Amino acid sequence: MMETLEASNVALQTLNDPGAAAAIAVGLAALASGYAERGIGAAAVGAMAEDDDMFVPGLIMTVLPETLVILALVVVFIA
Amino acid sequence: MSTGASNPEYVNARVRSRRASLFADEDYRKLVRMGPSEIARFMEETEYEREINALGTRFSGVDLIEYALNQNLARHFHDLLDWADGRLYDLIARYLRKFDVWNLKTILRGIYTDSAPEEVRTDLIRAGELDDRTIDRLLEVDTIEDAIEVLDRTIYHDPLEVAYEEYEESHALVPLENALDRAFYERLLADIRGLDTPGSTAPQEGPRALYIEFLQAEIDFRNARNALRLARSGADLDPAAYYIDGGVLFTESELRQLVNRYDDLVDHIAANRRYGDRLSGALDRLRDADSLIQFEHAVDAALLEYADTLSSIYPVSVSAVLSYILAKEREIENIRAIARGREVGLSENEIEEELVIL
Repeated sequence: MMETLEASNVALQTLNDPGAAAAIAVGLAALASGYAERGIGAAAVGAMAEDDDMFVPGLIMTVLPETLVILALVVVFIA
Repeated sequence: MSTGASNPEYVNARVRSRRASLFADEDYRKLVRMGPSEIARFMEETEYEREINALGTRFSGVDLIEYALNQNLARHFHDLLDWADGRLYDLIARYLRKFDVWNLKTILRGIYTDSAPEEVRTDLIRAGELDDRTIDRLLEVDTIEDAIEVLDRTIYHDPLEVAYEEYEESHALVPLENALDRAFYERLLADIRGLDTPGSTAPQEGPRALYIEFLQAEIDFRNARNALRLARSGADLDPAAYYIDGGVLFTESELRQLVNRYDDLVDHIAANRRYGDRLSGALDRLRDADSLIQFEHAVDAALLEYADTLSSIYPVSVSAVLSYILAKEREIENIRAIARGREVGLSENEIEEELVIL
């Protein structure tokens, strides 16, 4: 019982600390863009395997979700 | 059966790319004006290059085209199974088993007519699930009974065993071929509902539901085609022997009643709300003309269009693969029709009528 209370206290404290909250936000954004890139990357590799010209478009499409992380980085500076 | 996560994104990207490189209408228009050797030349400049080159020394003319088409089909469909993992593999393999059925039918016919194994071998399309070893062993056997024995532990063994008794009485291959078809079509839908969780019911929406709907459409169209052929030929055959379970268009008793009344049969298809609209043009033609071929082509086109629609509703699912499989098959059949048509000297218009172009 005490341990859970302690744990939730720590969690609350972390959220009160702007730096830590921003870190969580960036981390989640990175995770999400990673998930998005998984599918796009698979499709891009498939397209490249069929047609070499797809390399550049495939690469660009694959890293598009990376903007999520870049936008999330803004949070770090204003937090 | 393959384990692991499925990779629809990868397979989709590759399949769509190949789909886009299939022959377009203009290509067909060009092909229709060519002779067999010109068609072979034309194919050499497209993605059939590898097959044409490999077979060019051994065959020529229409045979070359035909075998190149078959090999190309086998190669592409084999690729599909290569790429796919997990559940996607199962869904694709389920459908590609129809080439197993085709191969088995060809082999049985070969045995029946005492053809040389080499001749039969060239007619096979090795795009199915049966491995090369089994097929090679099948080519070596001399009697149908032995062939059935080789198929032990495949899904075809038991139905063939039952049909073999009938074959012994009648000495016609029809019961065996029906048994193969039935084994394929019934397996198409069986246990698909419980693919994820055993005991769950059919999904009501989502890609899986549409996959099932597509397979049902395939079965329905097959039933309709068989029924119409029976009705047309006026042969005194038992329609139940050709009935395939799992569709939504006919029940067995309905089919039995309808098969002798041609007009009612057409009305029954038109009244179905799933297909009535889609096939209305073909059904009209069927009512007043007597061209069953036109109807069959319309059915093929409808199925193809249907698969296309599915693949745009659910971009990342098995639908795109199905639509590619159908489109590729269509292309193969179109080219074959053109080559054969040119060989026997049909006019351009006559050949164009034989093609299925969307």
